[in-house]
Amino acid sequence: MTRVDKNRPSPDWIEQLRQRFPCEAEIDRILTRKLKRRAGPPYTPVSLETLVQGTQALIAAELKDDFQILDAQWLTGGASKLQMAFKLDWHQPGVGRTATPMVLRMEPSESITETSRLREFQIIKALRGVIPVPPTYWVDAEGHFLPYPGIVYGFAEGVAKPTAASSGVSGVGTQMPPQVRPALGKQYVEHLARLHTFDWRQADLSAFSQPAAGTQAVEWKINQWERIWEEDANEDVPLMRLAFAWLRQNMPPVDHVSVVHGDYRVGNFLFTEHDLQISSWLDWELSYLGDRHEDLAWATKAIFGHPDESGQTFLVGGLLPRDQFFADYQAASGLAVNADTLRYYDLFSNVKSVVICLATGTRVPRNGKSHQDIVVAWLAGISYLLLEELRTQLEEVV
Amino acid sequence: MDLRPALQLHTVIKALTDVVLPAVDPHNKPAQEQARLAIGMLHLVAQRQPLLYRYERDELARFLVLADTLREQAAALPVAKAALHALTLSTEAGEDVLERAQAEPSELEAANFDLREKIGALITTVYAGTPTSDLKPISAAVNAHAKAQLLRERVWLQAQGWEPDPTSLPAIEALIGDGPDA
Repeated sequence: MTRVDKNRPSPDWIEQLRQRFPCEAEIDRILTRKLKRRAGPPYTPVSLETLVQGTQALIAAELKDDFQILDAQWLTGGASKLQMAFKLDWHQPGVGRTATPMVLRMEPSESITETSRLREFQIIKALRGVIPVPPTYWVDAEGHFLPYPGIVYGFAEGVAKPTAASSGVSGVGTQMPPQVRPALGKQYVEHLARLHTFDWRQADLSAFSQPAAGTQAVEWKINQWERIWEEDANEDVPLMRLAFAWLRQNMPPVDHVSVVHGDYRVGNFLFTEHDLQISSWLDWELSYLGDRHEDLAWATKAIFGHPDESGQTFLVGGLLPRDQFFADYQAASGLAVNADTLRYYDLFSNVKSVVICLATGTRVPRNGKSHQDIVVAWLAGISYLLLEELRTQLEEVV
Repeated sequence: MDLRPALQLHTVIKALTDVVLPAVDPHNKPAQEQARLAIGMLHLVAQRQPLLYRYERDELARFLVLADTLREQAAALPVAKAALHALTLSTEAGEDVLERAQAEPSELEAANFDLREKIGALITTVYAGTPTSDLKPISAAVNAHAKAQLLRERVWLQAQGWEPDPTSLPAIEALIGDGPDA
């Protein structure tokens, strides 16, 4: 029995995957970089001092004035990237001397979602003023200054879940209390509508490939996720092969190319508890230009919501009933919600989740590549529940 | 089932070493000592667990050799009659177990891995050239297998707390076949 050694991928194998699964140029570059680095050393703990020095070097390359990094501390949240909060004492253009709270978001050696910091930087910058996002400052796209690639953006006030609410690892299973639902639910829908109607053609999104009309956007995504499955999965799963085949045979054309967040859900926005205002949408690393229905399907997934107190009505994100979510979205965006396309992306979402959780979620800790290996390996345990949901979906369509 | 103890132990050791141990109060000597011993013990378990089955089998083979020798040497001693009878019964049982314990756990894992890969490749090939609507029996077979397989996997990891209704799940013993004591 000859196995491909995915922990030490050969150049030929990498090239075969690139040819077999064409996807966006920047994503191809990032995935290829991941594989080329994989045989290298595991992640070793990075000290705050190292991060401060790297951040100082990054900023010094951009600023001519003197500045100082103050109050550096670790930030928790998420399973994919390292985050450091700090204050920058600097001469801010248009403001003067000030101490600005900022966040450094840096990759580990290999992440549960291997993505482009340049794309993340560009999309957050483009959306400033469209929906709440933090101000962006600097990007170290290739890790010239930091141990690994990273971005610096503004610190957003707020919490990812109500202080008193319970939640599981990485925000999955957050319980939203009734008093926050109306205000947050309204913004949850409105922001998604604004995102999907944003005129991205006017923005600098050079790291994003623009799909042609038709099915190119979804085909790129299927290629991307099947390629990652090939790159990262340990054991194969026959059901996943069936799912990829069905996705390829049933690709819906995109009727309106939108910015898709790619991980639009509770846990990925911050809000201020005193006025229940969403202060910032985070985690843009999976964003792309494509079909809004992916966000709609993802945002309404069962694992990101919960029933109301009666136990009878499922609340999207724990915030509002599903029917209301779609009705409000259509009213706010002027874009239709197509039931067949939504079902397609519902199935697609489960495939994507399984790729992330089961394939990458076991490959990263296998090679000791992240700062959160035990968190990632723990999250991998949800894969079989997701696969069961995928199985029942496939049972209905094949 | 991809979440095997080897991977889980690997991540536990890394978390304890990289994150937890550096945060243990350096002045709390018992906590420092026990944290290091816990990591050391886990290293030992991770190192030896894959060899445990072979170790047990080797041990059994060696005891069977000793038992044969002792039965031969003690056969003429009247005082040993009852003990010899008991040893003979246990030797026969041990020989039966040894005869059945041939494949290594790693061989079982590799055979499963290989079949998964070949089945996956077949599915990809078949569906690439044929509409899913023409392959309903294959789709049904894959789905039926997955239904049973996924139930086992979910029950195996039930203690992680992902299941919305854990009380509806059967015990793992009911899903993976009868053990030798059944």
